[in-house]
Amino acid sequence: MEPFTQNDGNHDELIIQQKRDIEKEISETTPLVSEQLPLTCLYAEYSGDEIFTAKIQDLSKKYKFIRRTRPDGNCFFRAFAYSYLEYLISNNSAYQEFKKLAEESKEKLVQLGFPSFTLEDFHETFMEVIQRVSPDNPGGHSTVQDELHKIFNEQGYSDYVVVYLRLITSGKLQEEADFYQNFIEGDLTIEAFRHLEVEPMYKESDHIHIIALCTALGAGVRVEYLDRGEGGTVKAHDFPEGSEPRIYLIYRPGHYDILYPN
Amino acid sequence: MSTPARRRLMRDFKRLQEDPPTGVSGAPTDNNIMIWNAVIFGPHDTPFEDGTFKLTIEFTEEYPNKPPTVRFVSKVFHPNVYADGGICLDILQNRWSPTYDVSAILTSIQSLLSDPNPNSPANSTAAQLYKENRREYEKRVKACVEQSFID
Repeated sequence: MEPFTQNDGNHDELIIQQKRDIEKEISETTPLVSEQLPLTCLYAEYSGDEIFTAKIQDLSKKYKFIRRTRPDGNCFFRAFAYSYLEYLISNNSAYQEFKKLAEESKEKLVQLGFPSFTLEDFHETFMEVIQRVSPDNPGGHSTVQDELHKIFNEQGYSDYVVVYLRLITSGKLQEEADFYQNFIEGDLTIEAFRHLEVEPMYKESDHIHIIALCTALGAGVRVEYLDRGEGGTVKAHDFPEGSEPRIYLIYRPGHYDILYPN
Repeated sequence: MSTPARRRLMRDFKRLQEDPPTGVSGAPTDNNIMIWNAVIFGPHDTPFEDGTFKLTIEFTEEYPNKPPTVRFVSKVFHPNVYADGGICLDILQNRWSPTYDVSAILTSIQSLLSDPNPNSPANSTAAQLYKENRREYEKRVKACVEQSFID
């Protein structure tokens, strides 16, 4: 490796500043989670592209709507949380079960070695969000749905939910390190992977994140892959394999959004 | 106005007062909770022993989702400290976790003083001396320790 010169500090700062400007532009133009949009809005993004057009057509047989998430590296976690809570607010018994699991998750993470002082901050907010979207709300389903949408577009709450899911994911990787080590390419340890790719915000998710999170929460996810692959149809993958999906996501290289099946 | 960052910084401060780690201290500046002053005492049995090194910590509203900017104000001769006081430490960059608080940041910097990482140098002279001429390295470090009394 080339030795650094003393000027590198300033050089790094320039790059960081540039990155901040791009992030600022994205955050000013894209909501954290959009309204429900017709799936056909995807055509406009790929106009003239035969492969994608054929695949969107295929996808539109199964899904009518899409909900976009901000492309900030947290999209998988944000889409997952929004979509799962949306399912839970219409399924009271599943909601109650999840609430209990969420309540107990903090103690489990503390036992795994996470610092309880800071964990508490995220856990409290996470529980507050769950409480605020309780299906028992006397205002009924549409009130709860509006509340969910509002919370997820408030940066403070929305990001704390993402952080907490990242910590649950990280905890699962640690708990079953021997198993998850098989998914990691190169000679990175699970420990290093958790600190480099899971816990820091804005780090994109891969299959390993999805599997660990779904397994930890017992929530099935179906991901539809819209890419350049051959065949003219969109391939779906269920996590964990064989589970019944509660959450539907669309993956386009580098980004996840939420889907609504017919 | 209370934002998540400010709320969290109040908590960090409270914890630092109630359960202070050995050899570090820190507090928000008088009129701005987003800017802190901190002191790290040079760890025992290292050439930094007896030094009192001042730092500033600048937070943004994105804390704790993003790390703060931490800088030594005192001059520190160390392989991972830039000439302007900037610190090259993984947990303040790509290994940042929102579970770290001010207390964890300061104790990590304190251990960096004891265990430099000469393979990613911010000060190439310090890194080279640390690897090749430990006596000269310690002499230069001790000069900063003395300087730190005057600052």
